[in-house]
Parts: sequence; structure tokens; C-alpha cells
Amino acid sequence: MARFIRGRDTYIWAIRSLALLLCAIHSVAGHPGFAAEPKFPQLTGRVVDEAALLSPPVRERITGWLAEFERASKRQLVVVTVKDLQGYPIEDFGYRLGRAWGIGEKDRNTGAILLVAPKEREVRIEIGYGLEGELTDAISRAIIEKDILPAFKDGNYEQGIINGTAAILKVLGWEGDTPGVTVDAPGSAQELPPIPLLILIILFVIFRFGRYGIFTGRRGRGVWGARSRGGFSGGGGSFGGGGASGRW
Amino acid sequence: MVHTFFRRARQIFLMMFFAMGLAACDINAVPRYDEDTKAAWSEVLNQYQRRADLVPNLVETVAGFARQEKETLTAVVEARSKATQMQLPPDILNNPEAFKQFQQNQAALGGALARLLVVVEKYPDLKSNQNFLSLQSQLEGTENRITVARRDYILSVQKYNTELRTIPGRWVAGVLYPEAEVKQTFDITEQAKEAPRVKF
Repeated sequence: MARFIRGRDTYIWAIRSLALLLCAIHSVAGHPGFAAEPKFPQLTGRVVDEAALLSPPVRERITGWLAEFERASKRQLVVVTVKDLQGYPIEDFGYRLGRAWGIGEKDRNTGAILLVAPKEREVRIEIGYGLEGELTDAISRAIIEKDILPAFKDGNYEQGIINGTAAILKVLGWEGDTPGVTVDAPGSAQELPPIPLLILIILFVIFRFGRYGIFTGRRGRGVWGARSRGGFSGGGGSFGGGGASGRW
Repeated sequence: MVHTFFRRARQIFLMMFFAMGLAACDINAVPRYDEDTKAAWSEVLNQYQRRADLVPNLVETVAGFARQEKETLTAVVEARSKATQMQLPPDILNNPEAFKQFQQNQAALGGALARLLVVVEKYPDLKSNQNFLSLQSQLEGTENRITVARRDYILSVQKYNTELRTIPGRWVAGVLYPEAEVKQTFDITEQAKEAPRVKF
């Protein structure tokens, strides 16, 4: 062993160790960040209402549609309102948000986002690669102009978001129970679900709470919107800047 | 006897050491990043092509309403043919002149289109034409996709070039991939000038 640490061997040993050390540092440190990213809100559900534009019942209702839509088609639509765009153009913010959350099926990229920024008075429909053929730029633009902006201009954000969501779902081939969507006047009685459904709901709630404890339901995600297990998360889809934006 | 034993042990030890070193260096990083840049570049070309494909329709629609804007229209048509007729050499990503030429041609087309969309503001009939509105939103979407594709390309080249020029990657490339070269990338400032920001 003594011979091993002497003379030329020592030299070679030192060089190799140094190289290895560099490699190790390199692989641990990795590359520096290449581009600054905006700070995105947490993906707490299918409706992320950071700007607080939606009342809880409306949020629940939209969440229900979106969950049903995903069950039927495996596609994901997410409705997002943000406090501000942190100085980014909405087009820039939108696709990065979509990528960060990975909305849509992985590899098929079948995700879409309805993004509302009330502070900047901008709205955008962001389309994943896989839906660009159906929900084209021109159609997205038409939805923004016809379904969303008129209500937004009146200051009625809820109605605009409901109309826009329903219109997008319709274009993507899902109508569900969205017809005649209007915001319920405050205090109007909500229709009760039929009794068998009620029993199912109760069973479901008992089962769910019994298994996971009462406080496991995350905010922004009702019992209806939840998938049978785990919270909502993006499927890993990607975005390439398709869609349209509007200002009011 | 003891002497050969140590020698052999040392050999094995060094080989293991070397293998570990290689593993930590990720010897496949260079070709992998190379493929990433190629994919990102294809997307850039794809989106530029998409824009070029929109132009004839757009020019025709605008000409139907604003024939007197001949100059602006001709500029767009010429810029388009210049951009689409350029023969891209296979080594364009390593060839600064060709790359610059490509970028200039595309920027010229972007600029001509931006001017066209400004001119259009004078024609209310055209601005409310359904066909035009549809083309305009497609053009807008495509410009946005180009921006995204360019940024993705820039990031992938940055990753590749960094790998090629920083220490462990540089040694790996020197030994295993002597043909690997640093690639050209877009400068963002030019993009900022070129992107037409259309107001509605």
C-alpha cells in the first residue's frame, strides 16, 4: 500500500480525484436556472380563483362540469383567475402556467386553460398542443369576444367565466348540463338532487370522510369535483402558445 | 507475489474509479441535448412555415378591401418569398452567416406583416370582415407560437452549449464527440422588435 501513495502514482491519483470531484460537484449543482419564471398559484383544483371572482356555489358548479368533462373525454380544462400577471404578457404567463401545471394528458397534450387577470383586464384561452386543431385560435377569439368580454365589460365576471367555460366545453364536444347557464340570483332555491342520488352522495361522503378524516378535502375542490382518489393534478401535458387573448 | 497482488488491486480500483467518474459525468448528455436542440429547431421551422402559409390568404383578403395599399402588400409578398425560398444549408445551426440570414429574412416578414396590420386599421369594413378576423387571430396565435418555439430553442441550445463548454462535459465531448460544435441561437432583442403587437 505504501508504494501506491508515492511518486507518479500520487500525481495520477490526485488528477483523477480532482476530475471526479468536479464531476460530482457538476452533477449536484446542475445548471443555473436559464430563465426567470413567474410565481404561479398552487394548483388547488380545477378552478383556481386567486383573484376571488367566483362565489363558492359557482366555483363548485364549474368544478363539477370540468370534472365531468375530464371523466368523459380524458381532457383537462382548468379555470384560473390571478391577482396579477407579475409584469409578464398574458400570452407568456399562460403557456408557462400550463407547462408548470402540466394540464392535459401527457404526450397527447390535451389541456386548456381559461386565464383571467382582472387587474390587467386581460383574458386568455390557452390551448395545449393536442387541442389546437379543435379549439383553434379563431374559435378561441370568437369565444372571448362573444361569450366572455360582454359580461366582463359589465363587471359581471362570474357570468363571463361561466359562459366562456361552457362555450369552450361545447367546442371540445361536451355539453353536459351547461345549457342556459346563468348566475343564480342570490337567495334563489337550488334544485335538490333526486333521492337516490342523495343517498349516493351521503354514502360517498361517509365513505370518504370515514377513510380520510373530515378535513382532508382541499379548498377549491368539492366532493363533486374530486376524483375517487387523490386530489386533482395535471396529467403532464404541454403548451406551445396556441389560443387567443382579449382585453376589456 | 504481494507486489503483483497490489498492482492488480490497484488496476481494478482505478477502473472502478474511472467508471464512476464517467457515470457521474453523464457521457450521453451531449448527444441527448443535441437531439433536444434539433427537435426544438424543427418546431421553430414548423411555426415559421405556418406563418408563411397564412400570408397568401391574408394578402388576398386585405387586397379585396384595400387595393390602394399596394406597396405594403407587395412588401409582404416579397418578404414571404424571400423567407420561404432561402435554401437552408444542413449545417445551419453551426453556421453563423446562414443562421443570421435566416433570422433576418424571418424578421423582415414579421415586420412587413406588422406594417400590414397597422395599415388595416384604416379600413373598418375589412376589420369587421369575418374572414379577416379569423386570419388575424390565426396570425396572432402563430406569432405567439413562434415566440414560444424560439424561446424553447434558445433554452435547449443554451443547455447544449453549456454542456459542451463547461468542464466535465467538455472533456467528455473532447474524447467521445469531437465533432460536436457550439450552436447558433437567436438574439431575443430582435424578436422584441419584430413581434407585431396588434391592438383591438
